[in-house]
Amino acid sequence: MKLQNSLILREYLRPQVLPTTWCPGCGLGIIMSAIAQAVHFRGLDKDKVAMVSGIGCTGRMSGYVDFNTLHTTHGRAPAFATGLKLARPEMTVIVVMGDGDSMSIGGNHLVHAMRRNLGLTAIVVNNSVYGLTGGQSSPTTPVGGRTTTARSGSFERPMNLEVLARAAGAAFFARATVNHTAGLTKMIERALGVSGFAMVEVISNCHVLYGKMNELGDAAEMMQSMDRTTRRINPVLLRRAERPLRLTWPGAPSWSVDAPPLEGIAEDDRTPRGVIFERKGSVDFGQRYYAMLEEIKARREK
Amino acid sequence: MTSIVRGIYQINVYKELCKACGLCVAWCPQDVLAADAEGYPITPHLAQCINCKLCERHCPDFAIEVIPPEVEVADVQSILHAR
Repeated sequence: MKLQNSLILREYLRPQVLPTTWCPGCGLGIIMSAIAQAVHFRGLDKDKVAMVSGIGCTGRMSGYVDFNTLHTTHGRAPAFATGLKLARPEMTVIVVMGDGDSMSIGGNHLVHAMRRNLGLTAIVVNNSVYGLTGGQSSPTTPVGGRTTTARSGSFERPMNLEVLARAAGAAFFARATVNHTAGLTKMIERALGVSGFAMVEVISNCHVLYGKMNELGDAAEMMQSMDRTTRRINPVLLRRAERPLRLTWPGAPSWSVDAPPLEGIAEDDRTPRGVIFERKGSVDFGQRYYAMLEEIKARREK
Repeated sequence: MTSIVRGIYQINVYKELCKACGLCVAWCPQDVLAADAEGYPITPHLAQCINCKLCERHCPDFAIEVIPPEVEVADVQSILHAR
């Protein structure tokens, strides 16, 4: 299923500010389309959806979508979103961050948002580089990747968001790419229905800065190379969100939270994509917060 | 299995939004789309379209649309001119 582009334009975008300022071929537009479709297929009222974004190329997304939007300070989008979600628990809050925004500048906000496990949907767009400021190394630049600040190749180990999310206590983590657009839409759609902190990491392309410096080709070549650098771990990937989802199948390697994740996978250096883990039945911060408020109220009345 | 039907689909390209990035042309599996001299997509072989929507899914600028018959679409020109 694909919602017609003209209907996305009419219902979910602000046509007066289009076309976007992103470079031709940037994957951010594909992600924006996927978010709009996920909200549509979830059947959410767009006036009950809020998008919070930080700074960077990704941060500009909140200017283009016709939800309630907040364009906040660098890296602090999860902090603003926490306040918004506590004040308006009925709202669906989507936090959109880039890799530098979420993992270096806003690293601690992200970790603590995951630790609180508040019902936010975080979409982290990972393009391995600081795009807006001119192609500096980001926390996810691969070893050997050339950037403006690492002319002969980055030697730092890149951050693994999947392991971080697992350790910090997020309820849901999925990884998608801009090449596999149907899966991207469905993963965001699933993440919107999770009661705790749901995160979707989207591998995107920066062909203008990172691709040019590393001779990875144009936008289409970079996107098509994601077929080779990632592998799908859920063959039965995702159905429509209202149906119950089976994450494992008979004989499959276990990706549940309790099992060690990397056994037997280590020889395959391709990045897994799909729903990596989901913690069912975890109590989110909002539920505990409102229970505490009720308790205090009852104690005062006594 | 649904059989593949050709020749009933229409493709609209909205030039006000298109940035000529070439993604739609790169993904088209049936060579329906081609790039003109400026890089904008044109549809020289429209009859071959099979409605896979790979161009529409990969368009970052909402500038191309495959329209099957009897599907609701919005008038993009009026949306863009109303701004």
